[in-house]
Amino acid sequence: MSYDWEGFVNLIVLLLEGAKVSVMVFFLTLFFAIPLGLLVAFGRMSRFRLISGPIKIYILLMRGTPLILQIALVYFGPYYLLPEGMKINLDRFVAAVAACTLNYAAYFAEIYRGGIQSIPKGQYEAAAVPGFSKIQTFMHIILPQVVKRILPPMGNEIITLVKDTALVQTIGISELFRVATVQASAKSSTIPLAAAGIFYLIMNWVVTEALQMAENKLNYYR
Amino acid sequence: MVMLEVKGLCKSFDSNRVLNDISFKVDKGEVVAIIGPSGSGKSTLLRCLTLLEKVDQGTIIVAGDVMVQTNKEGHAVYAPESSLKKIRLRMGMVFQDFNLFPHFSVLRNITEAPVRVARISQDQAEERAMELLRKMGLEDKRDAYPYQLSGGQSQRVAIARALAMNPDILFFDEPTSALDPELTGEVLRVMRALAAERMTMVVVTHEMGFAREVADRVIFMDKGQIVEEGRPEVVLCNPSSERTRAFIKGLSEH
Repeated sequence: MSYDWEGFVNLIVLLLEGAKVSVMVFFLTLFFAIPLGLLVAFGRMSRFRLISGPIKIYILLMRGTPLILQIALVYFGPYYLLPEGMKINLDRFVAAVAACTLNYAAYFAEIYRGGIQSIPKGQYEAAAVPGFSKIQTFMHIILPQVVKRILPPMGNEIITLVKDTALVQTIGISELFRVATVQASAKSSTIPLAAAGIFYLIMNWVVTEALQMAENKLNYYR
Repeated sequence: MVMLEVKGLCKSFDSNRVLNDISFKVDKGEVVAIIGPSGSGKSTLLRCLTLLEKVDQGTIIVAGDVMVQTNKEGHAVYAPESSLKKIRLRMGMVFQDFNLFPHFSVLRNITEAPVRVARISQDQAEERAMELLRKMGLEDKRDAYPYQLSGGQSQRVAIARALAMNPDILFFDEPTSALDPELTGEVLRVMRALAAERMTMVVVTHEMGFAREVADRVIFMDKGQIVEEGRPEVVLCNPSSERTRAFIKGLSEH
């Protein structure tokens, strides 16, 4: 009896389709969460409690509850919260990206804050004396140094995000892991699960290489 | 011509008065050394003069332009930001721990402010930067990064960076205090050369030798006040106040 190669190719094609959804959730979440996190970080560092207070609560909620719950709430919440007649059904994919973005922006914000606060006061002063504006100081003096410092912890989060995309299946999105579990039960086989594992590993290998390249690029100074 | 005029400067952090009624003048081309025990307010004074801190009371006039003055209620009123911007262009500052920008090359450390703030062309800024680096004896370091420099080299780059803006007055906040003794010489040599060119300088320093040799005038500060002021040979060798005498004596015992 020879191995069912046709079935295997079919499985890979199905997994690739699932992986495409996972990758889309991944990139869109990064695309929105990386800048949003910076805004959240500024809010968190604000001198005004009216701003920093609510931001602290937001960060506590995002980091203090499971992402899987947040995804479900963003998707189902509006339906239950809106009054009769105005009920809308949020697109699953939109809800998934929105929830992941809100969650990851909170983590990114705290990483940014750590990075920003680690830059010595003297850097701001050396820029202030000749008259750099606040925006020039941040964009040209502070931010480039922050990026270098936060790359390792950001790498951690980005790698976790690759795996966290599996959670969006909770609202019925057929991403990589969902496809794998469906195939595993249909075929009574663990091969689809193992294959999915290899897919995640390959994605994170690519992410790791990209992060390493970024770190090398910034290694020209200390 | 008076380059810097300070009248009745007061500054408190919470209830702690760090500067108490400070008044002095610096003429164009003059080198003034400010000495005194740590915590006497010397650094805070420089930080107020360079707009890194705001004063509570008093007047500061830079080359005829009012930076801050006191209103009838006794509160300090600063000039509008547009005027402060012009005043900033006339002042340079050299910090104790250099504060070079680590992500910029030596050359870019020097050209960044002229290009971005003073809006000088890149070519012109680079030409001027190279001229300054030659003067500092560091032309071979133009493409180096700050982490590759010794403390003395870093401080000379920082001096070049401050000079690149063509300031009318240069402030030094303990420029050799972070340096190993064998490296202070190269920085002091550069400062001596600047003094010889009649650069107006206000130097907070613990280098009594430098103060004696280079300064036209020495100001001794203690507990937020100017205790004594005068020619270096008088203040350093024959001070009239007991506090100055105790301070100088304490130094020579080390």
